[in-house]
Amino acid sequence: MALQAIAFYVLALVTVAAGLAVVSARNPVHSVLFLILAFFSAAGLFVLLGAEFLAMLLVVVYVGAVAVLFLFVVMMLDVDFIQLKQGFARYVPLGGLVAGILAVEMIVVSSTVASRGAASANDAPMAATDVSNIESIGRVLYTHYIYFFQASGLVLLVAMIGAIVLTLRHRPHARRQVIADQVARGPKSGMRVVSIKPGEGVGE
Amino acid sequence: MTIGLHHYLAVAAILFTIGVFGIFVNRKNVIIILMSIELILLAVNINLVAFSAYLHNVVGQIFAMFVLTVAAAEAAVGLAILVTFFRNRGDIAVDDASMMKG
Amino acid sequence: MVDFWATPGGWTLITLGQILLILVPLLLLLAVLIVADRKIWAGVQMRKGPNVVGPFGWLQAFADLLKFVLKELVIPDGADKFVFLLAPVLTFGLAFVAWAVIPFAPGWVLSNINVGILYIFAISSLGVYGIIMGGWASNSKYPFLGSLRSAAQMVSYEVSIGFVIITVVLLAGTLNLQTIVEKQAGWFWNWNVLGGGLKNLPMALVMIPMMVVFFISSLAETNRPPFDLPEAESELVAGYQVEYSSTPFLLFMIGELANIVLMCAMISLLFFGGWQPGFPTPFLADWSPFAASLFGFVCFFIKSMIFFFLFAMAKAIVPRYRYDQLMRLGWKVFLPMSLVAVAIVAAWRVFAPAAGA
Repeated sequence: MALQAIAFYVLALVTVAAGLAVVSARNPVHSVLFLILAFFSAAGLFVLLGAEFLAMLLVVVYVGAVAVLFLFVVMMLDVDFIQLKQGFARYVPLGGLVAGILAVEMIVVSSTVASRGAASANDAPMAATDVSNIESIGRVLYTHYIYFFQASGLVLLVAMIGAIVLTLRHRPHARRQVIADQVARGPKSGMRVVSIKPGEGVGE
Repeated sequence: MTIGLHHYLAVAAILFTIGVFGIFVNRKNVIIILMSIELILLAVNINLVAFSAYLHNVVGQIFAMFVLTVAAAEAAVGLAILVTFFRNRGDIAVDDASMMKG
Repeated sequence: MVDFWATPGGWTLITLGQILLILVPLLLLLAVLIVADRKIWAGVQMRKGPNVVGPFGWLQAFADLLKFVLKELVIPDGADKFVFLLAPVLTFGLAFVAWAVIPFAPGWVLSNINVGILYIFAISSLGVYGIIMGGWASNSKYPFLGSLRSAAQMVSYEVSIGFVIITVVLLAGTLNLQTIVEKQAGWFWNWNVLGGGLKNLPMALVMIPMMVVFFISSLAETNRPPFDLPEAESELVAGYQVEYSSTPFLLFMIGELANIVLMCAMISLLFFGGWQPGFPTPFLADWSPFAASLFGFVCFFIKSMIFFFLFAMAKAIVPRYRYDQLMRLGWKVFLPMSLVAVAIVAAWRVFAPAAGA
């Protein structure tokens, strides 16, 4: 139990610190790297809670795909990020005040919920059963939530098409490889035999 | 030293407020705003998974999965819009986005 | 008195010992393999290969190690120093972290987790970051463009690797690597490459191409020839590692090699029965557990080394792809193929009369 507590505090601290660094880093590339750290340690928290499948999903989807997207965009855009950072100091006091109040309120409410509601009945996270985490998720996901599952697939499809449509540029003078043409090319179309008379040259 | 539900909820709450704070202080930088939104969604996911674990009910994890899906889609489309916007303007300052014509 | 090994301290010590037990032989193996790779390459081209250091040149890797470590570490002016140094460490670390869930023999696995395959998939998807960070932190155009190139390559091929893994998972019905291997016990037709059992034999028509797709994708994923566009030393500058020298460069190289061996191990675990020798082994019951495990480990090792040999042969005999051809192959050939395969295997598992659970 002590090991779990240590793991929780370390992971929680790293998550929160990385989150703070995301919003305050000067360089947006560093922000993305801290975002990755935050997601990774949050995945660690999920493992502690026994949601191992979701933890791996978080790493694969977020860290492996979404954060790469962020990194690509941040690195490719040639923007003066120092200029965008202006006004940061001006908003910090007010923002900090609002955020502080919000945090205190939410912690008070959530600890009340945790100690009074239905959740207080179970003081330990889900115990490991003979049915693995993935299997129990699958059993519910593919039965009760099958329509939501299909809908989320549709959401992803629409997002994919939308992203492609938004960013695709047709470059008319780009030369593309047409494999079929290359394969179909034979001696007849590719070669011309010319008989040259001495002293005249090809004369084209 | 047992870790209870309220520990996880507190982490999620702090992360959520950090996300809100990030939107507050980085008003001009769309990329950081998008990242702050991701942080907020992550906080929501922590809440869902924590409740799912302590209520011994797997549905919370399924909802976290849906949140993950929508967040990934949102990031993809958001960044695509950002890239298009940058191509048209040469800048990503949010204030300029109020102009309707590209 | 409480048994010391049951306390948290003892547990930590045991785990550390197990980690060392995996890491040290693995590093030694890498040192041998790097020479073997060059020897095979040289043999195909009728050269001798490294033959100076030690007997037949087998100590060449250690000489190279010394050379790298003793050289000066150059950090370019204007580089992001922390990220620049973090990138090779990340690549190196991630390449070894994945070995935690590989079952070497019956019971010989550091952590037998239920989501073993997903864990490996997640770790290998993190491998992109070492490359992107290294290229970006160098603060130079060539490494940056090289890193974008190889990151795009790795992300693209990860998709088809994921789908191929799903076909295996559908056949095995579990994400636990140890269980996947245990299900392939008995004769070799129980291996997943032949559909996992005589009843599923028609699935061999799907699984053999999937094995080939996995093999080629892992070549691309680990930046091996013919897909070594990130470094392509004879045509492009060395990609993301242009600015690297000395130990960081060495870390990149070792990480890459460890990933290659990991992929070889994955192919033999997923498709060729891991530690299963390919015939029924009733005689193992009389052996001591250690001897039986050792027997399994030798089988696993031989299989993995065969695939490493194939990796080395591919490097020697296949010409390099062009970048647009590489992308075309990944997105327009492998992705549709593996998607269709997932659909077919899933349909077989549901509708085939003999499939069984």
